[in-house]
Amino acid sequence: MTERSDPLRIERSEPIDGLELVRQAPPAGAQSFAATYLGPGGWGHDPVGAEGTARLASTLLTSAAGPYDRVELARRLDRAGATLTSQCAPESAEVTIWGPAEEWADLLGLLAEVVLRPRFERDDHRRVLRQLVERQLREAAQPASRADRELLRTVFPRGHPYRETGLGDRRSLGRLRRESIVRFHGRHYTADGGILVVTAPARRSAVERVVRQHFRGFPASAAPSLRLPAARRAGTQLVKVVLPGRTQVEIRMGGPSVARDNVSYPAAFLANEILGGRPLLSRLFQNVREKEGLAYYASSDLEAMRLGGYWVAGAGTGADRWERVVRILEDELRRLREEAVGTRELRTLRESAIGEIPLSLESTSDAHELAVEAAYYHLPEDHWRSWPARLRAVGPADLREAAAEAFSADGAVTVVAGPVGRR
Amino acid sequence: MPIPRVPHPSVRAFRLRNGLRVLLAPAPRSLTASVWVWYRVGSKNERPGITGASHWVEHMLFQGSPRYGKGEIDRAVVSVGGELNAFTDSDFTAYYTTVPREHLAVPLDIEADRMTRALLTDQEVARERVVIHSEREGNENWPEFRVEEELYELAFRRHPYRWDALGRREDIVRMSAEELREYYRRFYGTRNAILVIAGGFDPSSTEREVRRRFGTLPGGGEDPAVRDIEPAPRGERRGELSGPGTTPYLQIGFRSPSLDDPKTPATILVDTVLGGETRLFSVGSGWGRSREHPSSRLYRGLVDTGLAVRATSEWRPRLYPGLFTVQVQAARGTTLDRVESATLKLLERLANDGPTAREMDDARTKIRRSARLAYEGASRTGFRLGYFSVLRSPRFEQEIFRALLRTSARQVRARASELFRAEARTVVRYLPTKELADD
Repeated sequence: MTERSDPLRIERSEPIDGLELVRQAPPAGAQSFAATYLGPGGWGHDPVGAEGTARLASTLLTSAAGPYDRVELARRLDRAGATLTSQCAPESAEVTIWGPAEEWADLLGLLAEVVLRPRFERDDHRRVLRQLVERQLREAAQPASRADRELLRTVFPRGHPYRETGLGDRRSLGRLRRESIVRFHGRHYTADGGILVVTAPARRSAVERVVRQHFRGFPASAAPSLRLPAARRAGTQLVKVVLPGRTQVEIRMGGPSVARDNVSYPAAFLANEILGGRPLLSRLFQNVREKEGLAYYASSDLEAMRLGGYWVAGAGTGADRWERVVRILEDELRRLREEAVGTRELRTLRESAIGEIPLSLESTSDAHELAVEAAYYHLPEDHWRSWPARLRAVGPADLREAAAEAFSADGAVTVVAGPVGRR
Repeated sequence: MPIPRVPHPSVRAFRLRNGLRVLLAPAPRSLTASVWVWYRVGSKNERPGITGASHWVEHMLFQGSPRYGKGEIDRAVVSVGGELNAFTDSDFTAYYTTVPREHLAVPLDIEADRMTRALLTDQEVARERVVIHSEREGNENWPEFRVEEELYELAFRRHPYRWDALGRREDIVRMSAEELREYYRRFYGTRNAILVIAGGFDPSSTEREVRRRFGTLPGGGEDPAVRDIEPAPRGERRGELSGPGTTPYLQIGFRSPSLDDPKTPATILVDTVLGGETRLFSVGSGWGRSREHPSSRLYRGLVDTGLAVRATSEWRPRLYPGLFTVQVQAARGTTLDRVESATLKLLERLANDGPTAREMDDARTKIRRSARLAYEGASRTGFRLGYFSVLRSPRFEQEIFRALLRTSARQVRARASELFRAEARTVVRYLPTKELADD
């Protein structure tokens, strides 16, 4: 496989009018194309008192743009067999288009319309606001999303970008006017700080030509920066959110963690795989579900971002079992931090993580996710090629040290939400 | 824009002497291989007292056999970087494993072993009971699940479609290990299964491997017809639930014919015009609707007008007559009376006037366009080939595509008119309790 056709290597171009451009070859046999614009439009940039701005802007981008009103944009996509999605996170926002490979150039042009010339029509603004209000209610009413929200709100102090889920509250959404969304878009969907990732069956020069043609006219403003206040480092605590009438209790345990550029990230990644990240083989799944039969699911996640991160372990279980599950989660976290992982377990989990790389190349959209990750975190062009070697370099001692830092008990919080008795 | 031909993978199909149907879809450049086994057993084969048995057996097939002790199936697959899972529906149960292509022998060995030799020990059945109970509890936290379950319980009085594949709570508590073993012995076997292998492999050597591993299995597995015929509905049925939630929510179900019905293409177009896409052709290896459809009638009539925040339709292709449903989540401050009335008017309009020429053209193009990329990757290919095969045949998708081109707007109008009759209607409303009003 030559470098140009290897989807595990990305190719960076010289920035085009300030916009970083990354190209990836699609996997062999793939017939689709994908492109993502990533920019500093995450909800960590929400103005104080106007929380929800970033998510509203991100949702509205895919509603109507350039010459297309909402219905015409949807028809244009449908008739091409393409999809357009937007996502928002604390640090960034992204817009992705996916469709038939032979139409990659036209669809890239459509993505440019959406990113550069959204219409932010008043009807759409009102409609999306109504939808966000319902999502807020859902977040509060559903034990799983409520537990996620309460965990972040307890771990991170006010003003911290990771504290929120981007939905704001009813008051803040009520303050969002079209003008403020237009202003936010102008400041946060920029070339500076923006990255375009293209997975297309075309040479880099051809992609550069099409990008130059379509991605002109970004606002000249510099990318905004994000401040990360220190996370709380209080002792561990238990937060109970009483939600009567539900059938299941959702448990979340978590705390601040490392950023993606931390030198021990590969070891921290493996620590998470061992704890609860690797499906079926992880300690949480094995002990909570397979051995004790206490819950349908139990897993963990390491959210390592550009500026910082957090870890979360969780499970959903019955009202009469949640305390036992919490004890197992605590025991497993303690074991991860304090005891060396056996060589056999480490090897099994590590080779599993390495072995799944071909599965990440099943389709263009799967492979594209790898390129987006490498591009956003400014990882080396051959990051995914060299990833197995970096994982194999992690020994039990590295892993324990990384686990102690990345899954620290310092500042950790446990949240249980659902039918958990009186407040 | 011309409507493109919908591609279809080339398939080598054969049947073993013991009745096992096999489909091989090689894609030489694929780095992965995906193995799917589809059994024609689902909640349609259950009866009151053992509802949820199909789903429970599905869980148990990961819990041990003579060759694979508890947890060893998971370890064998995941340790080589593979992924595996299974799902149970009313009409079928499917198991899949996708691995790096050099490890294709791993899932073949597992599937051949558990097709007839899963253990279902008393101890593991007892432990899994709590897990299944927990899965059900997780679902019950969602009003949408509760409403759908109630809708089917109300709409059907005899046919097994009236209970969800997860099974009724009381049956999960009561069912015995012996009942599960009996169920497994009766329905699992080579005659009742379809094996699909897609991805990077050599078809000739893989066929030999399949014959070697599966050819020696005893023929077995029943696929009996469901005899409980649901009588024609004689009037509207209504239900109401309340509990924690966000805004009022509504599902309306209309009795609809089975997949075999000659009017199926028209039903698909009704679904696409109203809701924006149809489940039968949703892109991806999973199900359900992938996104919002702002050009659909329900969206324009209910979401754009501010009455709802979500509105969609769903026709689920089934082997026996089922339901065509409409689901609407009201906007805050809107009553369900208004939402229901507006929804019924939209259905009535389609039944009276039919779709426009533009809607017909858009719907046909959209279905065929979205299907073009649906076979990308071994996992998706395995899913789609198996899904269409277990419902009808691997060629069923192409037959439907051809039929869609022949279906006229007049036929779609007639189909809508037959579907959306008041006497065939079941309505379930969900009213959220007040807890969040001041949150």
